[in-house]
Amino acid sequence: MTSEEIQAIFFAECEESLAAAESGLAACKAGTQDSDTVNAVFRAVHSIKGGAGAFGYVALQAFTHTFETLLSDVREGAVPITEPLVDLLLRALDTLSDHVGAARGLAEVPDDVGLLAELTAAQAANAGAAPSPAPAAPAAPEPVATAPATTSADEDTGGDPFDLDAMLDDITGAMDAPKPALDAAPAPAWLLKVRPHAGAMRNGGEPLLLLRELAALGARCIECDCGAVPPLDTLDPGTGYLGWAFALDADVSEASARDIFEFVGDDCGLAIGSDAPMPAVRPAPPPTPVAAPAAPAPAAAQPGAAPTPAAAAPAPPAPPALGQSIRIELGKLDKLIDAVGELVIAQAMMAQRLAGDGLAVKEELTILEGLTRDIQESAMSIRAQPIGSVFSRVPRILRELTTSTGKHVRLEVSGESTELDKTVIERLGEPLTHLIRNAVDHGIESAEARIASGKPAEGTLTLSAEHRSGRILIRIGDDGAGINRERVFAKAVEKGLIAPDAQLSKEEIDHLIFAPGFSTAATITNVSGRGVGMDVVRQNVKELGGRITIDSEPGSGTTFTLTLPLTLAISDGMVVNVGDQTLVVPLANVVESLRPTQTEVQGLGAHRAMINVRGKFIPVLPLHAAVGAQGAIEQAHEGVLIVVETEGAGRAALLVDAICDQRQVVIKSLDTHYRSVEGVSGATILGDGMVALIVDVDSLVARSLSGQSPSPLLAEAA
Amino acid sequence: MTQTTRILTVDDSPSMRALLNHALSTQGFEVAQAEDGLAALDWLALNEVDVVITDINMPRLDGFGLIERLREGTRHRDRPILVLTTESSDEKKARAREAGATGWIVKPFDAAKLVAAVRRVAH
Repeated sequence: MTSEEIQAIFFAECEESLAAAESGLAACKAGTQDSDTVNAVFRAVHSIKGGAGAFGYVALQAFTHTFETLLSDVREGAVPITEPLVDLLLRALDTLSDHVGAARGLAEVPDDVGLLAELTAAQAANAGAAPSPAPAAPAAPEPVATAPATTSADEDTGGDPFDLDAMLDDITGAMDAPKPALDAAPAPAWLLKVRPHAGAMRNGGEPLLLLRELAALGARCIECDCGAVPPLDTLDPGTGYLGWAFALDADVSEASARDIFEFVGDDCGLAIGSDAPMPAVRPAPPPTPVAAPAAPAPAAAQPGAAPTPAAAAPAPPAPPALGQSIRIELGKLDKLIDAVGELVIAQAMMAQRLAGDGLAVKEELTILEGLTRDIQESAMSIRAQPIGSVFSRVPRILRELTTSTGKHVRLEVSGESTELDKTVIERLGEPLTHLIRNAVDHGIESAEARIASGKPAEGTLTLSAEHRSGRILIRIGDDGAGINRERVFAKAVEKGLIAPDAQLSKEEIDHLIFAPGFSTAATITNVSGRGVGMDVVRQNVKELGGRITIDSEPGSGTTFTLTLPLTLAISDGMVVNVGDQTLVVPLANVVESLRPTQTEVQGLGAHRAMINVRGKFIPVLPLHAAVGAQGAIEQAHEGVLIVVETEGAGRAALLVDAICDQRQVVIKSLDTHYRSVEGVSGATILGDGMVALIVDVDSLVARSLSGQSPSPLLAEAA
Repeated sequence: MTQTTRILTVDDSPSMRALLNHALSTQGFEVAQAEDGLAALDWLALNEVDVVITDINMPRLDGFGLIERLREGTRHRDRPILVLTTESSDEKKARAREAGATGWIVKPFDAAKLVAAVRRVAH
């Protein structure tokens, strides 16, 4: 793994940490200020700091350090959580996000001087009363305590024999070390005296390793003090009875020798210089540290004893809410999904072939079909992610909008855990941002106007996501003024989008805001931009295989509803026959299907027919005319009508010859295999190996109703 | 000492895991990784290890909690456990040792220091 790859992991992790911190702080702001929430924020920032240090992003590290210091005090309760504090933390998080961007080379390093001062001040204001304790004095050899001595080598844990031999060798070697060695060697520059105490073997420590490391520095043992070793019957194996004096060359620094003993701290006596006395033996304290953790054992041995406090003491692990996870390269996953798509097609083809041979009822076939569906669902769920990752970015957008528009907006979010395909999630951010900006900029009124109309000064933005029959519904609602239809109409006329005398329904007027180049703001603000906006939103949503609808009530607000597929790769469709063609109508558009009687369908002029569906008249569109199919049924009462819902043109009834099947289809893009064709959203391979076009109901109906059918392009593609 | 030293690293940060893995496996250590204390316990239940290196701040079960759980039993009472800490203050080190850590590695670490720390405690 190269360092670039590790850095890429780090940046991906930064994004996750930022999102986690963001949602944690949002929860704090909303009133959830428990330790778990604060801890999550701390951990997120801490994690960025760790990586920043490791990769040498100095500015990022410095900023996270100050940020983390404050968060640490907040976590410990030294700094109370107040609203100004949460706001400060949120601003710090924004800057942190910019810092991460700078580290990636995507942006300039932000100017954080003022913010750093604020963070430090917030921390100092509260923590100043309790100055951090001065670092403990470096471990000094303990004062004398005389005790009998023996070898510290026999550990009661029974180390492996090799080690024991090595230890004995080392010890005897050290004890036998002849003094003449001193004479032979160049005069030692300095002497180091070492006596490990009882604690040196605690926590998995092993003094022998330290002595070996010392030897590796060139230290020569010139004396082993075994005078403290007691008679065998009083020997405590947990106490360090031996002391050694080592001679070191002048070029070995004292620091490098002390370094070796860094971990054991004052559990190992050290003395430097020939004049310094050998550190004294320190007997093991009566309740040895090793014994302490064993305390629960006797308690647990009591039969039927209630859980003792000691046994309960080890912090009960947090509920394992988070599943274990594994990181997979997205490319591999996509390959799997593609293969599963092919599997679905192959399975369908086989089923159809066998059905043709009269073998459809075979039990194995049913099992295979079930398994295929299971695999497909599992594969899809691998790509699924909670939409919360998109929603969590919204608070920042709102804060920026508050700054630029002066409108205060409260956010209500629901359904954050709703899962949908990763690609959909990734591509959802842009339209969602647009819609939110639009809602705040155009929807929600200024505070004065709101108060004048009897509303709370603070606007409310509601964001929700839910599963609805295989689709995801995302709603972005505001409690603003609603769409001003007269102004929209006037603007559309002015822009030449519609005729001045056009008769449009409320919905049709509302949808005019999606027209390219349409902008309703009397003055173009710097927030919603210049014309690039709602038409792009619709385009984005459409590319995701979704639809967008508007529900606006003058005076009480507007709600945009995005209907999106769970995945881009597979869709539920109704397979229909139209003359010599087989087409797929996306199930998302289908409301119902019916076989009309002759009297239910009424003519409207020469070329248009309407059907009365429970009191509502909807236009009948012969699909064969739209696609240029030959030999199709012409009379509505002879065929089947599929009532579809469209975003721009309301409902329509598509006339087809027959409905063959309702199935999941693997969507193949026409753009990549052929080219984009109006009225067609893609193609699929049917069970019999035939290619069928998937109808883009919205554009097809819109075209047909405006009298542009048949679509020459569609006819050509078909 | 004839066998390869087996190390379990415990850290919730994927990049830190990647760094540790890179630094240790290129030095000939056998490296296994867990993303938090509970995952480490699960792994240790089925595998043998020579040295454990753990981060402190982790979800579900943190580093101190992990050490506490390991020191409770006899199997890991003398297991060398190093903690990864971002603070080098004596106070934090004392706390790590009090919690049962054999030693510590201060983040950001360099590969040489990491390896030296492991060798210092590997039995």
